Amino acid sequence: MDIQLLKEAVVEMQEEKALSLTKQYIEEGADPVSLFQVYQDALVEIGKRYEQEIYFIPELMMAGEIMNAASELIKPLLAEGPEEAKNKKGKVLIATVQGDIHDIGKNIVTMMMDLNGFEVKDIGVDVSKDRIIAEAEAFGADIIGLSGLLTLAFDPMKEVVEELKVQGLRDKYKVLIGGGQMDENICSYTGADAFTTDAIAGINMCKAWMERVS
Amino acid sequence: MIDQQNTESSANNPVFAEYEARKKRLEDAIQLKKPDRVPIAPLIAIFYPTRIKGISNKDNMFNQAETFKAWIEAAVQHNWDTALPPMGFQPVKLWELLQITQMKWPGGQLEDNTPFQWVEGEYAAREEYDEMLSNPNSFAVKKFWPRIAKALTPISDMIQMEPPPPMLYFSSAYSLPTFLGEMTSLPEIRQVLKTLLAVADEYAAFKEGLASYVTDAKNQGFPLVFGPQTITAIDWVADVFRGLRGSMLDMYRAPDKLKALVDEFIPYTIAAPMLMDTPFECKRVFIPMHWGAAGFMSDKQFAEFYWPSFKALIIGLVDAGYTPVPLFEGDYTPRLKYLAELPAGKVAGHFDHIDRKKAKEMIGDTMCFWGNVPSTLLCTGTPQQVEDDVKELIDIFGDNGGLIIDCNMGIPDEAKPENVQAMTDAVMKYGIY
Repeated sequence: MDIQLLKEAVVEMQEEKALSLTKQYIEEGADPVSLFQVYQDALVEIGKRYEQEIYFIPELMMAGEIMNAASELIKPLLAEGPEEAKNKKGKVLIATVQGDIHDIGKNIVTMMMDLNGFEVKDIGVDVSKDRIIAEAEAFGADIIGLSGLLTLAFDPMKEVVEELKVQGLRDKYKVLIGGGQMDENICSYTGADAFTTDAIAGINMCKAWMERVS
Repeated sequence: MIDQQNTESSANNPVFAEYEARKKRLEDAIQLKKPDRVPIAPLIAIFYPTRIKGISNKDNMFNQAETFKAWIEAAVQHNWDTALPPMGFQPVKLWELLQITQMKWPGGQLEDNTPFQWVEGEYAAREEYDEMLSNPNSFAVKKFWPRIAKALTPISDMIQMEPPPPMLYFSSAYSLPTFLGEMTSLPEIRQVLKTLLAVADEYAAFKEGLASYVTDAKNQGFPLVFGPQTITAIDWVADVFRGLRGSMLDMYRAPDKLKALVDEFIPYTIAAPMLMDTPFECKRVFIPMHWGAAGFMSDKQFAEFYWPSFKALIIGLVDAGYTPVPLFEGDYTPRLKYLAELPAGKVAGHFDHIDRKKAKEMIGDTMCFWGNVPSTLLCTGTPQQVEDDVKELIDIFGDNGGLIIDCNMGIPDEAKPENVQAMTDAVMKYGIY
């Protein structure tokens, strides 16, 4: 198995080459765990390129597609289940808040969180504060991610944070708000722990929070 | 109410003079000439004017006359220089009749006080590019309409019926009435014909409402902020057909087909404003820009996939005598070097997020800067913060007159009225040239 060749194909978005190499290495008896690791390493490199503003949304989408296709090939060969194979970084509950049905940003974040080793539960769009909190409790989330594109999302985000306080749960969760109109004003208005307009930056915040906890 | 003909015929009429003064103020700013003061012109404000009157979003959408009344009242109340755009009012009754799937709205699937919202999706598959390119009309009617307008499904089904081949059965005095009668008398076709008639009636009423709004606004002294609108070809493909996910993946998986479809659309994106020019009498064309912002794609991808169809649209509109008003949604700071290529004084760029100083430096002599007081300030800030922000805009952009004040995306629905007023007050305080 030529690790560099495969990693480069994934990082350079050469979808067909990456998948045919993966098939070839599987046929040649490559260790599935090492094979999976190559993809993880490639993903780290893709994330770096995103942070360096070399890669953007098309590459994140492609990375997700290539990872999914590769997982289909590799997963059946892994001894333990796919969930155990990942060293989970933390649990994130994510939703678009009440009144807003936009989900592009939320879906990208969910995909990238999952690829980066978080256990993510995406409970959809237009979700009430009560359901967000109930689901976070049931899921045992560490972080609550609140998404919204519209200005109408500001108040529902604030209400989630206030309801957490009312229920005595505020300190249990980190709350991250995300969306195109988020800024410092809205972060302090809602009482969230942080805001982001960028998927990878948001994931890095979550990683930093989880590292502080563990 | 002042009669329109009177306002037009008398230059001594104060309302007419005010209308002309406002129109000139805006046009001067766009042409990078110093007007008497900085114009204040909200690009859109769909629900704000009705919300402050206690009218629900649902009632706003279903009562065109009341909404237009509130829009003009807001322009009067806040002393704006323009009337809100008639095209900002959506034909929700047509959405209902046609059973539109690409949109959700209050009074439909959403709560009464929610705004209408686009439903993102891959409405056409990558495998369908060839058909979209080679036989677009057939694709639209046979496949696409039922996906976006469920009420049109029977038409699509009828066209796909096998037989009759129209050339044979629809060819004589004997056969045409019989076979056409067979088809149109089917219950589902009768229903769709009724729907189409209702669409025609509703649209006629809708358009009449638009025309009387334009007249009312003019009679109160307000030119329109913009008239027609259009969409950049790449956004049209991404919004309507392939979705964000689909079109972004196409950059890798089907780049040539994506580009070919965009190229096909370009002439029609330029022609669209001409098709809906009446009754606006306004040559400013609104272009909401969706996927070209920083963060969505790299500079190289922007140059390859986005810029060509946008530039062609701008040049085409300018050549046809229009003034394009692109709304650069998202952050366009890294794209400023491209915008600097556009013809000077012909485009009014409305900005959402941007590095203001860089914008001044790179496109200050090219296009009028329109915007961009943050919507977050209007919704949650104080009048003082709004005033400070407007002052900053005037300090940066005011020297050559190329500035129009607005929020970053028009007036947000949840804006506090005192903050909206603070925007006007700040212009009156700092924006007299």
